[in-house]
Amino acid sequence: MGPQTAELKVSVASTSPFSDFWQTFSRNRMAVAGLVMLATIITLAVFASVLAPYDPKSSVGITSSDIYNPPSSAHWLGTDDAGRDILSSFLFGARVSLIVGFFAAFISVIIGGTIGVVAGFYGGRTENLLMRFTDLMLVIPDLPLIVVIVALTKPSLINIIIIIGVFGWTTTARIVRSQTLAVKSRKFVLRARAIGAGNVHIIMKHILPLVMPLLVVNAILVISLAILNESTLSFLGLGDPTATSWGQMLNFAFVRGAMSAGAWWALVMPGVGIAWVVFGLTLFGQGLEQVLNPRLESHHLSPGRPSVQSDAVVESATVKKKSKKRKDAPLLLDVRNLSVNYISHDNVVAKAVHNVSLQLHEGELVGLVGESGCGKTTLMLALMRLLPATGQIANGHINFRGKDITTLNEDELQKLRWSGISIIFQGAMNALNPVRTVGDQIKEAIIRHMPAYAPGILEDRVIELLDLVGISKDYKDQYPHQYSGGMRQRAMIAMALSCDPDVIIADEPTTALDVMIQAQILELLDDLRKKLGLAIIFVTHDLGVVAEMCDSVLVMYGGVTAEYADVDTIYNAARHPYTQELLKSFPDLSQPEKRLISIPGYPPKLDELPEGCRFAPRCPLAFERCTKEMPILHELEDGYHIASCHLVEGG
Amino acid sequence: MPGDPARQGIRDPRLTKETIEAIRVRFGLDKPVFNCIDSLNPVRIGSCTVNPLDTQFFIYVKNLFKGDLGVSYYYNRPVSDVLGERLWNTILLIGVGQILAIVIGVILGVLAAWKARSAIDYGALLTSLLAWSLPVFWLGIILVFWGSNHGFPIGGKATPGISSYPFFTQVGDLVWHLLLPTFTYTVIFMGEYTLLMRSSLLDVLAEDYILTAKAKGLSTFQILKDHALKNGMLPIVTLIAINLGYTVAGVIQIESVFSWPGLGGALFEAVSRRDFPILQGGFLLIAVSVIIANFIADLTYSYLDPRVQTE
Repeated sequence: MGPQTAELKVSVASTSPFSDFWQTFSRNRMAVAGLVMLATIITLAVFASVLAPYDPKSSVGITSSDIYNPPSSAHWLGTDDAGRDILSSFLFGARVSLIVGFFAAFISVIIGGTIGVVAGFYGGRTENLLMRFTDLMLVIPDLPLIVVIVALTKPSLINIIIIIGVFGWTTTARIVRSQTLAVKSRKFVLRARAIGAGNVHIIMKHILPLVMPLLVVNAILVISLAILNESTLSFLGLGDPTATSWGQMLNFAFVRGAMSAGAWWALVMPGVGIAWVVFGLTLFGQGLEQVLNPRLESHHLSPGRPSVQSDAVVESATVKKKSKKRKDAPLLLDVRNLSVNYISHDNVVAKAVHNVSLQLHEGELVGLVGESGCGKTTLMLALMRLLPATGQIANGHINFRGKDITTLNEDELQKLRWSGISIIFQGAMNALNPVRTVGDQIKEAIIRHMPAYAPGILEDRVIELLDLVGISKDYKDQYPHQYSGGMRQRAMIAMALSCDPDVIIADEPTTALDVMIQAQILELLDDLRKKLGLAIIFVTHDLGVVAEMCDSVLVMYGGVTAEYADVDTIYNAARHPYTQELLKSFPDLSQPEKRLISIPGYPPKLDELPEGCRFAPRCPLAFERCTKEMPILHELEDGYHIASCHLVEGG
Repeated sequence: MPGDPARQGIRDPRLTKETIEAIRVRFGLDKPVFNCIDSLNPVRIGSCTVNPLDTQFFIYVKNLFKGDLGVSYYYNRPVSDVLGERLWNTILLIGVGQILAIVIGVILGVLAAWKARSAIDYGALLTSLLAWSLPVFWLGIILVFWGSNHGFPIGGKATPGISSYPFFTQVGDLVWHLLLPTFTYTVIFMGEYTLLMRSSLLDVLAEDYILTAKAKGLSTFQILKDHALKNGMLPIVTLIAINLGYTVAGVIQIESVFSWPGLGGALFEAVSRRDFPILQGGFLLIAVSVIIANFIADLTYSYLDPRVQTE
């Protein structure tokens, strides 16, 4: 391939990202507003000599009656202390501000960019030296230094540009360095290095393009700082006396009696000009950053969407009878036909959970099984109404303690959470607050839900809970980072037990732990269930754990129930092809010679669900009907066992 | 521009050469600046064989250890006296202004992050971006202009002759003078704290432990107060220390506009008067303050974040 074709390819490929960028950019109101503000002032500055009604420097032939004249038809913005037209000075002042801002920022960005790239790319002693220097420059107050240096040199525009530029590079250097560090270890850079590309080549071709977006955002900030610095210098009387600038206009007005003359027009306009440019730049920069580096639209405290009930009658079987093992236990949690949707800001609906039913009896352990992305966590969060702001309960009921959780208000929910249903999240490192002690975080829940505990007993209760999960009381006042991974998970369990809940949701409590710790944690949970009579919903990938501990199993696929039955039924008489495939992919000690087979493909994307059965594209037994019609849940074995598959229709 | 501080300070044609020389000796200007350098402005190369202990630089450093910052060319008084009385005025201005800016900025930032993507959020965001964009001195000018028509003092620290009044009247008068400069300071610095708090809290509120706190049934207020604020404050602490340097820039402008007799004004006047001892003393003071502020910030940081102590 010749060099020309390579270039052509690059240019073709780069049109699409740019138009993508432009689309997001034009939707960002802040960025567009900033750009319009800037375009206006740049136009005014460029055409200043055409637009200005007077020569800004001409004050010849004036009399005292021309000084500080208020705005009139002859002078739209009035006149200043020397009888000059303020509008004309304003237009020419825009030139000075913009020229100083852009050129000084150019110097700063070149210096800061070079220092940042060199420090980040070469590392070691070079980096150390450069960054120490940058830190030093960062804490030195730059404006006073600029004031001193400008005062001691000739205050020409060029000098001012150079001095402001030379002192304004510290933030650029820091940002560019950290971005370079991040980019440097990416695969394509390592690859370029492996094939023997020189450092300069790597920096120019591979690192700079990725540093550029951040550099542009930073440059906008540097420009605005330079403009502010220039105006301050001029206001302090240290500007170029031959160039009309906004700061200088303010200096003259302030020093030469505009205040006592009541000439507000001489004081307001130049400042509005500076604020206009800087505000325009800031809006543009902020908007650009939002476009280049989009944040999440919401967080955990964003208001959720209210639950709704869909009118469509759901025609599906649900489990009617209690599981075989828990015949006598009362029903605690009854989930009926629950559906959860995620709705994005442009109203794309993803059906994350669809028509799932589940019963939990006292002391029962239900396993919730399925691959990642099958809606297990969404279902669990919905049970506690902890869905993110984009999530919505679209149908169904969650009956618990005689109430429907889907209709509770925020106050009622807060009372119910933890005291009724508590949850053990996966990854306890992030689920515990790093800046508060573990004991404190447990105590907090007890204080919230059991105000009767006196402070003295409270401490004892925390120690008792930690003891229950095998953590010595010495660790009570330690922080999460001082705990090992397994201890954190156990602390999380202690926390979940703290308010005597009826139901505990364990959302993959053992992922990211080693096998020994996993076994300990699981044993602990099973023990506590027997000791305290808890009901547990256990979310997991691990079919071995399910076989060992669970009473019943709900297999989910693509947000729907694939199969729901007693654990023995699932293992011995699974009817849904997905369950059967899952079982094939899991080792069985009684049949060591069995070949493990993984299911090819991935679960469906929730916003691109297939029309028929969600498992059809991966199902070995799929036939024509499966791709056209979504199967409903069918009842098998008089009410213990349900499965959604066309193959089991009619029992 | 003439650079010799002795000439700049004493521009009296009646002085004889002998008198000028005597003044130069009094301020130590007859000594070379450093080995090989006789003068810095304009740079004049001198003899390299002088005793290094007998140079301006070394004498300055030696006196520094004795707490002697030299004598101001303009005031003809010890620099420490001149800066000392002005330092307190500046600390008063910065102290009140900085505390108000932090408190208001943090509250606005928390509100904006909590109500993300709402009218409150956009309101706080635009307000702080605008506040950040205003030139400090211009906001001051507009406030002086407005204030002078509404009974506010146009500058200074006290009404002349106030010292003969009772103590509380004097305090009232001081507050009255402090009001507009402090307001200017607060507005200018508040914006940055709001922006940083907002973005820091937006990250914190998306963390898993906030979901845990919510699952525990804590109220929104409890979550914000006990789980989000401390974590979200961490970047603010660093910013406060770094900002101290920038603060000086703001203070120079505010003190010039409001004729507030503080350090910033002294520095600015010293520039035009070529009063180098004052400038040196001022910069030394700023450097020391910045170092102390960074030290305090480090201490506060390790108090707020227990992970720092053990790592």
